[in-house]
Amino acid sequence: MNTTDFFALRPLLPAAAHAELRMQENERASVGFLNGDQIANSKRRTGGLSARVYKNGVWGFSSTPELSKEAAASALKAAADNAAFLDRRVQHTASPFPALAAGEVFGPPAKDADAQKVYVDFCRAIDSYIAQKYPNLTSRYLQVAYDAMEKHLLTSDGVSGGNRAPRAYLYVSMTAETANGTPVELFSPFGGAGVFSERFTDPALLYPEIDKMYENLMQKREGVYPEAGLKTVILSGTLAGMLAHEAVGHTVEADLVLGGSVAAHALNKRVASDLVTLVDFAHTALGEPAPLPVYLDDEGVAAKDALLIDKGILVGYMNSRESAQHFGMEPCGNARAFLFSDEPLIRMRNTAILPGTSRLEDMIASVEDGYYLIDTNNGQADTTGEFMFGVTMGYEIKHGKLGRAILDTTISGVAFEMLKTVDMVGDTIVWESSGFCGKKQPMPVGLGGPALRCRVTIGGQ
Amino acid sequence: MINLDLLTQSVIDRCLARGADAVKCSVSLDEKREFNVDGGRFSLFRTVFEHSLSLTVFKNGRRGSISLGIEEDDIAEAIDDALAAAEVAMPDPAWALCEEPLGYDITDGAPEPDVERLFERTNELKTDIERLYPKLIMEQMIVSHDRTESMMRTSFGGRFHRVSGDYHVSLMFSAHEGETASSFAGADVATVSLDRPFLELGNIKEVLASTEQQLVTTALEGKFKGVMVLVPDALVEFIASALSSFASDSSLIDGTSLWKDALGTLVADPRLTVSSKPHDPRLVGTSFCTSEGFLAEDYDIIKNGVLEQFMLSLYAANKTGGKRAPNDAMDLVIEGGDTPYADLIAGIDRGILVGRFSGGEPNSNGDFSGVAKNSFLIENGKIAGALRETMVNGNLAELFKNIKAISKETVENGGYVLPTIAFNGVTISGQ
Repeated sequence: MNTTDFFALRPLLPAAAHAELRMQENERASVGFLNGDQIANSKRRTGGLSARVYKNGVWGFSSTPELSKEAAASALKAAADNAAFLDRRVQHTASPFPALAAGEVFGPPAKDADAQKVYVDFCRAIDSYIAQKYPNLTSRYLQVAYDAMEKHLLTSDGVSGGNRAPRAYLYVSMTAETANGTPVELFSPFGGAGVFSERFTDPALLYPEIDKMYENLMQKREGVYPEAGLKTVILSGTLAGMLAHEAVGHTVEADLVLGGSVAAHALNKRVASDLVTLVDFAHTALGEPAPLPVYLDDEGVAAKDALLIDKGILVGYMNSRESAQHFGMEPCGNARAFLFSDEPLIRMRNTAILPGTSRLEDMIASVEDGYYLIDTNNGQADTTGEFMFGVTMGYEIKHGKLGRAILDTTISGVAFEMLKTVDMVGDTIVWESSGFCGKKQPMPVGLGGPALRCRVTIGGQ
Repeated sequence: MINLDLLTQSVIDRCLARGADAVKCSVSLDEKREFNVDGGRFSLFRTVFEHSLSLTVFKNGRRGSISLGIEEDDIAEAIDDALAAAEVAMPDPAWALCEEPLGYDITDGAPEPDVERLFERTNELKTDIERLYPKLIMEQMIVSHDRTESMMRTSFGGRFHRVSGDYHVSLMFSAHEGETASSFAGADVATVSLDRPFLELGNIKEVLASTEQQLVTTALEGKFKGVMVLVPDALVEFIASALSSFASDSSLIDGTSLWKDALGTLVADPRLTVSSKPHDPRLVGTSFCTSEGFLAEDYDIIKNGVLEQFMLSLYAANKTGGKRAPNDAMDLVIEGGDTPYADLIAGIDRGILVGRFSGGEPNSNGDFSGVAKNSFLIENGKIAGALRETMVNGNLAELFKNIKAISKETVENGGYVLPTIAFNGVTISGQ
């Protein structure tokens, strides 16, 4: 079914109820090399139609892989039947949503995926470079991960639109051994929005990054365990972005607020120092395209930025149309589904702490005894705001100067307490958009931040 | 009605006609019926239908895999793409499929949903929790019936056809009193029957009750080396991490596994046997065949503390010269030990009871570090009180050698069969 045929389905949407019809296709490709052996070479595409109908405070949803007018009509009927099934049994009451302005919202065009050969050739070039230049590595792993999500939407409000969002990443992992034979590893993602050949034009352009990664690994090989306890640290922009997403962002998703997150009692209260402002950007951030732009969400809301923390005060949540009505807020386009067969959930888009005025060198120089924490491989947070991030690269700071590298460790804290200790904010934002955010469904998201000086609990040995 | 035999065989024949040396083709027809409760209210009923075709082609020692839909346009594209992907891949003689014409044709579980009864059981669970655990807010309850008809065929005559279905319950909740809240907690159960109330399945009751006790928490002062007790939901994460770091394909192919030379030697306390059992009737929705076309069989990874078998695919076995594992899933079973749970706790002077571990994958050297969530201090043989912001550190390889006790009781939640295990020598640190 082409897009013209899809948009011609508008007469199928019931006028009496709030309804959505979505056509979506997801693509993924993966190529992986482990120590020169190609262990992954796959491509996946999945797509279809879904319909969702709202009735008296409950939703009915149905999806089908078939792309036809008949399949769309069946999906809409099944969604309406499902809503009616639930409505009969639970008998909630709810007002209709405020209507959206009818109109069209389309994102900019995006290129089609590259051939699998492009990924294989690029991976092999980088792998050969690493193998020849750094033979002392005990292991190297490279993976190309490409994915794209293409959506088209019709709603009973008269909204129509669509967007195609590809992104391409090269993940590199290197392992070396310490003098006593203990493995030490580093992992780095390279890439961002766009198809692979847009992000990666020449393997040689990546060599300096690979060299830097190797140098860090060699320093980590000589690394020491950090001293455990509450420490003054400089978090890199990468870690600040993780903090923005995991420890704060999830707690201010309105569905988690209704589920009892710490933010339920914190609206219009101070949750951070006045140096901290946090925004979930839609498609443009600080005058540049956001890492993973969203123009229209899957409920038909034209996406705009959501201000969450303004100079330390929690001022808003991220909402669906339903939660926005509950909280008396305006929806900003956060309701997104991962696959055609998924219902929209409240999801972050490009969540970032805004940059401040401090230079990184000055921030490091200001620490008498602490740590500069650079890279993370994972982060988890609680609905209480308690968070834990793995730290895979960092350095001691002694008397304002970087010292020895540190071995893998963990930092933890409570977001709304830790953010109050932020007393310096870097002047440069660092964005990250690899991997997936996990909720009920996975979702690509962007996260960003500047370097932060703050106090966190660091794990030792 | 789609004829899966004809569909998969025709795809294999078309690939062979275009020069493929070996082919595997799988088709899956999936249906889901699901109720959601969000923030304590019923919010959604959805019915989902998905079809997929997965094709793996081997040609001149090269391999390519594609997964698309099952319409004729998709199939033609899948064949083109799989062959094209194989042609640009690096050759590797280790790639292989089972060359025996194995297979089955079975219907099992609960393939036909009882939607009305499923709603009743879901509503009953919601109501029971509201009545029995009034301090809890149900952030999300997802209850579903999942039906799958799958067919996998290989060019060597392998044919695996199965129609199955099961019910899943997934809960996420936290306790609240005024502005005080516990950490979130969760419980997951899979079953093939709606005969029993969901509340009676797996460890749902225990996790609900434990979470209500986590409203008042204290911070641990300082740090000490003590006993870490992992309940099944936390234990499964540690076991999975250890097996992934030390016994899986990638860590053995690249030689970073700390157990790479440990086959046949003691890697754990002799009381520990870790098995993978797709045919265990206590597990739900396991796979009866491997992705390489073998019949899945039960086996012991660790038996009485001795590393018996790595979890190697045929590819990794060919790469490393090792022995292929009898199945390629986790399907984890550890039988109960000889210590009643109450005695296990009573025997601990100082330690921590961990309900959930919030930490990353341990590095390849096995070091782990993370926050002990939903945890309680154990002092003088008694559970003393809930803790907050407490970290646990140690080394996975050492952990399994330092078992203090294995509980007699196990949790069977459809996804695993596991006891509670107490480990000595873990660093437990507070603020």
